Amino acid sequence: MSPLSNDEFFAKLVELFDSRKGKDHGSIVLTQKRLSYNQALPEPADETVIPDLHPPRPLPILIRVTNAKGKEDRKAKQKIKLSTVVEPDALPAFFERYADVCKLGMASLKPRDRSKRKGKAKKKSKAGAATTA
Amino acid sequence: MPYYETSQEWLRQSALLIEARPNTTRITTKYHLTDKTGTSKKRQKRRQQQESTTTTTTAPTASTPRASLTLKTFDPHSGACLKYRTTKAAEVSRLILSLGQLGRRMAALPLPADSDAVMADAGAEEVGTPGVEKSEGVASGGVAKGQAPQTPAQGQQQAGGGGGGKGKKKRGKK
Repeated sequence: MSPLSNDEFFAKLVELFDSRKGKDHGSIVLTQKRLSYNQALPEPADETVIPDLHPPRPLPILIRVTNAKGKEDRKAKQKIKLSTVVEPDALPAFFERYADVCKLGMASLKPRDRSKRKGKAKKKSKAGAATTA
Repeated sequence: MPYYETSQEWLRQSALLIEARPNTTRITTKYHLTDKTGTSKKRQKRRQQQESTTTTTTAPTASTPRASLTLKTFDPHSGACLKYRTTKAAEVSRLILSLGQLGRRMAALPLPADSDAVMADAGAEEVGTPGVEKSEGVASGGVAKGQAPQTPAQGQQQAGGGGGGKGKKKRGKK
């Protein structure tokens, strides 16, 4: 499957996150790595310089997303795989949007616990009193 | 396969790993919905069995978080695997943005000024190690082009691992 454009990718990712909302099982797996496939790297002029560590120009990043389905689900066409390529100049904007999408999508994580914070504050004031006393 | 206690430590070590092996290292973020309270039949059965033996197990399960987020930096060449896990929604945004920072390293972009601390640390660690490893890496890097990407990277990693007490957790997992 060829990579989607960044916009299409986000649209599908939101869909994928929404499809798990309110469910109590399942996973969504996000992966990122340098896109090194089919990237022309020049022959190193100096043998002590390693082209991988010091590429002459920035390389794009490959982002993959799956819903971690396999075997039976794959046969039933339930497996969802998305991928996109992020160009180096688009990285900051991409990740800001990515963070927003993930924050909204990962709704089942534990929300900030307010009652606990109150408890802590009480403890702190007690501790403070103890140290000053 | 260590789990780090703090995301900062995970971020720091991951940055070092990506620096050493930018071509092969990948970062996997898994959002996993765990069914601690839910309706899965297997779990219901198990819970019923538990309840039949101990009657007080239902109360604590109600408050457990229902999802977790695991970050994993893995390099298949060296087998290094660094992990961090959280259940807090408040961390998501920050963690994804730190993925962006690591992405900059992967893309070999010049680093923003605020990540200099990591770089400085890395440099300090390398200075602190015996010179043997480093010179080995550099020497063998010059010999064969095909092996060149591997050996110096190994040297760097060892240097990173030897630098501090935290390195112990990180290395030697194949």
